[in-house]
Amino acid sequence: MLTGYLYNILIFSGIYAILTVSLNMAVGFTGLLNLGHVAFFGIGAYTSTLLTMNGVPYIVSLIVAGLVSSVFGVILMYAVRKLKGDYLALATLGFSFVVYSVMLNWSSLTRGPLGIPGIPKPELFGWTINTTSEYLVFTLIVATVSIYIINRITTSRYGKLLEAVRDDEVGLSVYGKPIFSLKVRSLAISAFFAGIAGSLFAHHITFIDPSSFYINDLVLLLTIVLVGGLANNKGVIIATVIIMLIPEALRFVDMPSSILGPARQMIYAIVLIGILLFKPRGLFGRIDLE
Amino acid sequence: MTQGRISANSISVFANMNIFIQLLINGLIAGSIYALVASGFSLIYSTNRFMHFAHGGTITVSAYILLTFFKLAGLNFYLSAILTVISAGILGYLMHAVLYMPLRKRGSSGAILLIASVGLMILLENLMLMIYGADVKSLKFIKIAKGMEIWGAIITPLQLVIIISSVVLLIGMAFFVKKSKLGSTMRAVADNPELAEISGISTSKIQGMSFVIGSAIAGFAAILIGLEQNIEPTMGLSLIIKGFTGAIIGGVTSLPGSIVGSYLLGLVENFGIWYLPSGYKDAISFVLLFVFLLWRPTGIFGINKGIKK
Repeated sequence: MLTGYLYNILIFSGIYAILTVSLNMAVGFTGLLNLGHVAFFGIGAYTSTLLTMNGVPYIVSLIVAGLVSSVFGVILMYAVRKLKGDYLALATLGFSFVVYSVMLNWSSLTRGPLGIPGIPKPELFGWTINTTSEYLVFTLIVATVSIYIINRITTSRYGKLLEAVRDDEVGLSVYGKPIFSLKVRSLAISAFFAGIAGSLFAHHITFIDPSSFYINDLVLLLTIVLVGGLANNKGVIIATVIIMLIPEALRFVDMPSSILGPARQMIYAIVLIGILLFKPRGLFGRIDLE
Repeated sequence: MTQGRISANSISVFANMNIFIQLLINGLIAGSIYALVASGFSLIYSTNRFMHFAHGGTITVSAYILLTFFKLAGLNFYLSAILTVISAGILGYLMHAVLYMPLRKRGSSGAILLIASVGLMILLENLMLMIYGADVKSLKFIKIAKGMEIWGAIITPLQLVIIISSVVLLIGMAFFVKKSKLGSTMRAVADNPELAEISGISTSKIQGMSFVIGSAIAGFAAILIGLEQNIEPTMGLSLIIKGFTGAIIGGVTSLPGSIVGSYLLGLVENFGIWYLPSGYKDAISFVLLFVFLLWRPTGIFGINKGIKK
């Protein structure tokens, strides 16, 4: 019982670690204040769900989920290429709203607010991942590989270029570097892993509805990235585990679930506001949010 | 034979005419509510230069304050309404003084203030959810009245009150900003904060004042919405999205612009469901918001005050 509960927390930590490290690549390293990350998460979850439920093998669905999210990342970046600062943030937030309302209203595809129940557990080369412990192993493998790849990119020479885009666009363009294409690729990679995380999420809880991919989760992701510190992958992973664990303490206080849910969201929001007010670089951050 | 065909045609024209007027009225009702939300938001934006997303939270909290005074404390409705507007103003001031001012003093950019504001919005929404529960509440102050018929369209007396009171308040506000001393000081701060500061205007005081006035208008909007629809924790989020879509369409730094934009949004949304399923009402405004942000962030009137550098 208790181990199952612990495994669940770890699975969610793994999924959120992929989400936040990939968000950090766009926001922290490249300086693109993207508030549309939950939309990529949702697109991945729905893509993977719909594909597997129509008989596509899981491993293909997982990759395609990432690719579809990635394509939306490219489209979004093309759309917002002229915007900066709070207008960029607002437009990407608008993108989240648009994707949310499409999920909610395209009932023939997504079943709208009813959500999609009975999502099959993943099946890989004859291995059906049924138990929580197996799913934990699977999540940790995917998370490790994803984070390893993102970390390789951000610590490489290419990562330095991304940081240069964030710090000094004009200076970088003097060297003839393709700034816009760097931004597009950064957001595409970031969105790809958000899509992968979406697939893991959908097949773990076996039920998705649009409300899982909306502003509440966006606040959670931003909180984690800002607590961990921009442009610091290790910090963000540590922050993911901490932030996922904090509200769990509430479970041991005797509280009805109608209070537990809002209380958890309030904690995230308070941590977010607190970190902006008192420690804008987060726990391990290297740079300030512009 | 020919006569029969003509009369059949004219009947369908009549039916279309009725639908047209009904959608027009629905659009005006929605537009009035959006305009109230947008005008407060735009007043705050013009002097403070950031997106006060938690304006939606002010509306939610105000609606619950009204519910508390009127239903739970059993006060007279009009007294409760006045108390609600005052509380909304105080809430706005507190947001400014406790959250935004300290952030500003650190030199935070508009993007950081926006993120803080999104956090505040979620905080307020969940606070209401925790205190009052997720179920939909209703004020039940006005008994459901039979609608009046105007050219074949139905409008209830309350809806008429909504349109008229919004228009009166909005005109009053436009006059206030244009003619009064405080209004012109606000415009001075909106135009050029540094110059205003040099001329001896306390910018932060004026910014605080716009929070008080803008939030009080949000409180007024909450009363009308509480009467017309139900009260629930998520109401503020959809309203602020509508409000700032309206503001962005018209030009967010201009009060008249954002009012016109909001009425346009109300009309487009309602005429849109002539062609689309009604579930897409929200999607229409999201798409409009997105399109305007991308291609015309200064709004249809092209009022550019520091939006594009």
